[in-house]
Amino acid sequence: MLFLSNCLIASEDSPALIPAHVLVENGRIKAIGNGLTKPDQAREIDAKGRILMPAMFDAHVHFREPGFEAKENIASGARAAINGGVTGIVMMPNTSPALDNPATIRTVLEAGRATPITVLTSGCITKGRHGKELAAIDGMRNLGVKMLTDDGDSVYDPAVLYRAMLYSKEFGMFFASHCEVPEIAGLRALTEGPTAFRLGIKGSPACAEEIIIDRDIRLAHATGAHIHIQHVSSALGMETIRWWKDRGDVKVTAEVAPHHLLFSEDDIGDFDTNYKMNPPLRTKLDNAKLLEGLKQGVFDLIATDHAPHTAFEKSQDFVSAPNGVTGLETALISLYHYYVHSNVFGWDLVVKRYSAEPRRFMGLEPVPIAEGKPAEFLLFNPEGSTTFTADYMQSRSQNTPFINQTLRGSIDLVVKDGTILLER
Amino acid sequence: MPRKDLLDIHSLSREEIISLLDQSTPFKEIFTRSVKKVPALKGKSVLMLFYEASTRTHSSFEVAAKRLSADVTNFDVPSSSISKGESVRETIETLQAMRTDYIIVRHGRSGLPAAIAKMTNASVINAGDGAHAHPTQALLDAFTLREIYPDLTGKKILLIGDILHSRVARSTTEIFLRLGACVAWLAPGSLLPLYPPAGVTCFTDYETAMRWEPCALYLLRVQMERQDVQYFPSLREYHRVYGITEARLKRIAGEGIHIMHPGPVNRGVELCDAVMDYPLSLINQQVENGIAVRMSVLYSLKPNGE
Repeated sequence: MLFLSNCLIASEDSPALIPAHVLVENGRIKAIGNGLTKPDQAREIDAKGRILMPAMFDAHVHFREPGFEAKENIASGARAAINGGVTGIVMMPNTSPALDNPATIRTVLEAGRATPITVLTSGCITKGRHGKELAAIDGMRNLGVKMLTDDGDSVYDPAVLYRAMLYSKEFGMFFASHCEVPEIAGLRALTEGPTAFRLGIKGSPACAEEIIIDRDIRLAHATGAHIHIQHVSSALGMETIRWWKDRGDVKVTAEVAPHHLLFSEDDIGDFDTNYKMNPPLRTKLDNAKLLEGLKQGVFDLIATDHAPHTAFEKSQDFVSAPNGVTGLETALISLYHYYVHSNVFGWDLVVKRYSAEPRRFMGLEPVPIAEGKPAEFLLFNPEGSTTFTADYMQSRSQNTPFINQTLRGSIDLVVKDGTILLER
Repeated sequence: MPRKDLLDIHSLSREEIISLLDQSTPFKEIFTRSVKKVPALKGKSVLMLFYEASTRTHSSFEVAAKRLSADVTNFDVPSSSISKGESVRETIETLQAMRTDYIIVRHGRSGLPAAIAKMTNASVINAGDGAHAHPTQALLDAFTLREIYPDLTGKKILLIGDILHSRVARSTTEIFLRLGACVAWLAPGSLLPLYPPAGVTCFTDYETAMRWEPCALYLLRVQMERQDVQYFPSLREYHRVYGITEARLKRIAGEGIHIMHPGPVNRGVELCDAVMDYPLSLINQQVENGIAVRMSVLYSLKPNGE
């Protein structure tokens, strides 16, 4: 039994925070109210000034297992998630071997069940993510896979994706697209722009991404499939999605990653590989337009594209260093630091886009702070601060622009099914 | 605080640039003596790590290091473990264990010398990395033109050729701008960046560019082989539209315009044969000055721990 006194409760419905005491019993929220008194056997946590909100859910993470466990594995990834207030995730299938068959998916899901968080996985559209033969789609569906994606690459041949959509649209599954024309994207290290020229690296123009955003939505439109556009990085990409959504005759959803909201090519400096990811950072104008898209609901989800890489890999030259930054441990605090704290948007947007909607998207019930609901929440201290040192981070990798930076806010408590997973 | 590495022009202050250039003059004077050697780097070791083929830059650095009495070792890339798949990190750790004082590195990937510089206490000199930077080329270009025009303020320099893929274009443009000169680029639209840096004028038409009245033309090597998808139809067409043809050379001579080139030249592409005998060509001076400037750079850098 847990008694959280004097909480400020956040929800997806209103920017207002509701003060109340919350009683947790048997893994569920038993009662909420100002007149509650602490039962004798309950442990009390004085939450005065702190915000109680549903735990986050990240629909785009790379846990690297099997194949790249030096970067991350499912256990360390789950610890990183908890550290960032995230209690459920969706793994991407670009492991080695790729998650393109029931046997591998079963192994991954078993490892996930050994962690305290909800581990879901996507499955490949094509075998080995090679873009040619269809993966064992029905076998993966039987294990509960809902999202099909060749994340890391687009499905090169539109006819393959078209067929896959026709084949599986009745299965209740959906497609998630990493959007990129490889011939135009080139080395996929940097956006085309002043930084790419200054550093002497062939740039990847935003049109390389926008062309496939449009192509894949058109394919979904033609086939009736549900398409989800991953990690949108450009203003015109966002506008393309808005245009299709406004038509209302295609099932399209989209996500934005915190790093594409917060950073631009200007931050790369002299080859700082902690700002190298794919799609690449674009311009400050893109940052502003993506933020507008998030506030206006063009983006259904915030997802981090948590992409761990070892210090050795990231110490290489900019072109050789792999794409990706970690995000699970920094997302919530950075969203507070840069946006909620300065009233750019409220906690309701964070709860909606990083907790409730991602769960609905994956066919799960959201976990609002409401009587009778599962106790799956976090306690956030807006007066606290967090320094992202190597000691603080639970991920096996620390490839993040936030390394050793101090941001406002701290995650003080994470609870899932009534069990305390983190307390600081 | 002395500088450890020379990775690009961007990170140098104007004072450092001027000092490196001014200091090159006494080194150049050594070349006319019967003994062309000074003991400045006696007992120091210089390692040449060239992942990309190079004759001119490699020998220029080697001569410069030897004229400073340093011991020069060539790390022979094709026969080394690098070609057996060893990562750059392991190679650098090996070199670190050899207690090399200076590493001169050329590599096809932009940013690799910067990555090496972070791994080692040795001074790293970038001898050309991808399309990023070639700082000693820029210094020798500035030194050479300053021999003609001691004050480059307001002087107009037109770079012609493959700007997009050229590390020379980037570094040389930057140094001329920092010394107060005006820089313009002339190239087919496909070989110009979409986002040129501030202060650079771009031309795609030869006649328009010449009306800008440059005092020097800086020709860049143009190649077909670097291109994944074609940037222009043929070398013949390039020569006709952007090359220094014989007819154009006559006009250039009449206007007293100097010609520079980082070498090696492609005869019949960026220039016609006659340019090689053109009295206002500075191409040979560039080669000679390259040694003096590189001596100046080696002399100025200080490895960690010194």
